[in-house]
Amino acid sequence: MNTLLSIGDNLQTFWGYTGFANAEPGHIVMIVVGLIFIFLAVRYEFEPLLLIPIGFGMLIGNIPFNEAANLKVGIYEEGSVLNILYQGVVQGWYPPLIFLGIGAMTDFQSLIANPKLMLIGAAAQFGIFGAYIIALNVGFEPNQAGAIGIIGGADGPTAIFLSSKLAPNLMGAIAVSAYSYMALVPIIQPPFMRLLTTKKERVIRMKAPRVVSQTEKIMFPIIGLLLTTFLVPSGLPLLGMLFFGNLLKESGVTRRLAETARGPLIDTITILLGLTVGASTQATTFLTKQSVLVFGIGALSFIIATVAGILFVKFLNLLLKKENKINPLIGNSGVSAVPDSARISQVLGLEYDPSNYLLMHAMGPNVAGVIGSAVAAGIMLGFLG
Amino acid sequence: MNRIKYLSLLMLALLFLAACSGEKKNPKWLINEVMTNNQNNFTDDFGQHNPWIEIYNNTSRTQNLAGMFLTTDRNNPKMYPIPLGDVLTQIKPHQHALFWADGEPFHGTFHTNFKLDPEKENYIALYDVDGKTLLDEIVIPAGIPADKTYGYTVDGFKYDENGNVVAQQLERVTPSSNNEVVGENPKLVYLKEHDAEGVTITLTSMLVVFLGLILLYIVFRFIGNTAKNLSQQKAAKSGKLAAVRAQSQLSGEVLAAISAAIAELTEAEHDIESTILTINQVKRNYSPWSSKIYNLRQLPK
Repeated sequence: MNTLLSIGDNLQTFWGYTGFANAEPGHIVMIVVGLIFIFLAVRYEFEPLLLIPIGFGMLIGNIPFNEAANLKVGIYEEGSVLNILYQGVVQGWYPPLIFLGIGAMTDFQSLIANPKLMLIGAAAQFGIFGAYIIALNVGFEPNQAGAIGIIGGADGPTAIFLSSKLAPNLMGAIAVSAYSYMALVPIIQPPFMRLLTTKKERVIRMKAPRVVSQTEKIMFPIIGLLLTTFLVPSGLPLLGMLFFGNLLKESGVTRRLAETARGPLIDTITILLGLTVGASTQATTFLTKQSVLVFGIGALSFIIATVAGILFVKFLNLLLKKENKINPLIGNSGVSAVPDSARISQVLGLEYDPSNYLLMHAMGPNVAGVIGSAVAAGIMLGFLG
Repeated sequence: MNRIKYLSLLMLALLFLAACSGEKKNPKWLINEVMTNNQNNFTDDFGQHNPWIEIYNNTSRTQNLAGMFLTTDRNNPKMYPIPLGDVLTQIKPHQHALFWADGEPFHGTFHTNFKLDPEKENYIALYDVDGKTLLDEIVIPAGIPADKTYGYTVDGFKYDENGNVVAQQLERVTPSSNNEVVGENPKLVYLKEHDAEGVTITLTSMLVVFLGLILLYIVFRFIGNTAKNLSQQKAAKSGKLAAVRAQSQLSGEVLAAISAAIAELTEAEHDIESTILTINQVKRNYSPWSSKIYNLRQLPK
């Protein structure tokens, strides 16, 4: 009889440690969100390289467990494996490594050939500061508003980097929001691109970009680094790594390093970053009113960035000669969701003129957007850090 | 137009020069706060009231004071060597170390072999491990009231905008802690008061973003035009077809396709054939150093 009682006690204790006993509605909600992410990635191929790790990370992070038992399994428990992996996010060293890979895989040729496209990348950063104003007005502190605003840069690593410095408590929501909206760029941007352009504007043909010499390609990362970081030194971790990666690619003599940076290294960091960011959405700390607001403002910031880019091209066209006019369908590419937003310009351009290929032109503002958002992050860090 | 370009470049150069102009920098170690007349204030581990010297690590990295020298004599920089081998001399970023100027060096690492005299002017200096490089110095005027300190209102800030030393008698005595108590990030407080809507910071930031990318635009427009002109001149001088082709606006693939079309048109002896023209770009980036056989490991396929 005593043995039976003790087995009963043991089972009861064991039950207290199971996920079933510790589950809260929030866990189930987040698990469902994670499953939706995985579904979107597999079914529609929306940013699968990001949504699969984040979605699965959400499942991992929301397996309920007895937090009081100090099992060291949760991402927020010091010393746990997940917590150790999460330090790359918290301390902000995953994003610069991602930028190294981005630099090593980005071709700045179209930007060098037509440098005025850089200005579109600058204009799209209105998304960041528009969201900053909105966040301030809904009651966020300036540092939190800055971290939320950066979602408008459409750049996951930058968003994580800045939020880890300015508002670590909002980092999970900001990262998930930034990556989710980056995946949803094909849904968010086209309606505004159609709304803000006329049929005549959509069929503007742009001059083919000139051939860029290898010397210019090598000079770009060096001069780019010196100019941007002298202006905004706080952007150094991101800009430094971006331009370094690009120099590895363009120098022509460090092929192995460039291949590692744009291959195994960025893949490894993407896995760790995606998984831990997903796991950081642990319902007990993630599901708050603030997170919901962050998601709302994040969506608005993408819209503002898209609209600002398109309107800026229209404005620029007023100043340009007829033969140099820019197709405003590439205005959306100023957000730095590379290369998705450029691809959208191409698809929409082809819809209205099947022989008008905008991809190369759109890549200019697209990569300028990467530089612009890193500069904007540096400014935010300088003002609010 | 050319004049505007050159002016822009000149302005850029001036901007760099202006940025590099010298301004007095705060030292990496700072004698931050000093009490020369301790009557009823802070006590040491022996329960005694002695004068003290607070040194501040004015950097963002942990620094070690061990082996450095404290002195009150301009002609004897090596008066008190800070002992080696004490982990407590490792001072974390923007943190303090407190030395008791009690003339009792055997009381521990942080007890100097000299005393301070409240009746006279006190010169205090910190020298680097070589005993020659002066790291910081301060002169405490005579007559500082009992239990009052002399130092800097804001930790680590020795100079004002004009380069004047801003040491003064302090209102609060704060041994081993910040002279200025900061409860909230002052930048955020300022923004909340002066830019609650965020409009000013938005305009400023957008201006900086545009400025950064406009600078890149100017420089690369200039470089692009120069590169184009140089290659044209080179091509014209060489007079070779390959050189002229190299500086053409058309890509190699397009030129190859045009050549193939002309050849077919002029030498057309066949009907249209079901062949596919494949143009392979010639790459000459081989070097033994980048050869795969020298790689440490093969990339997974």
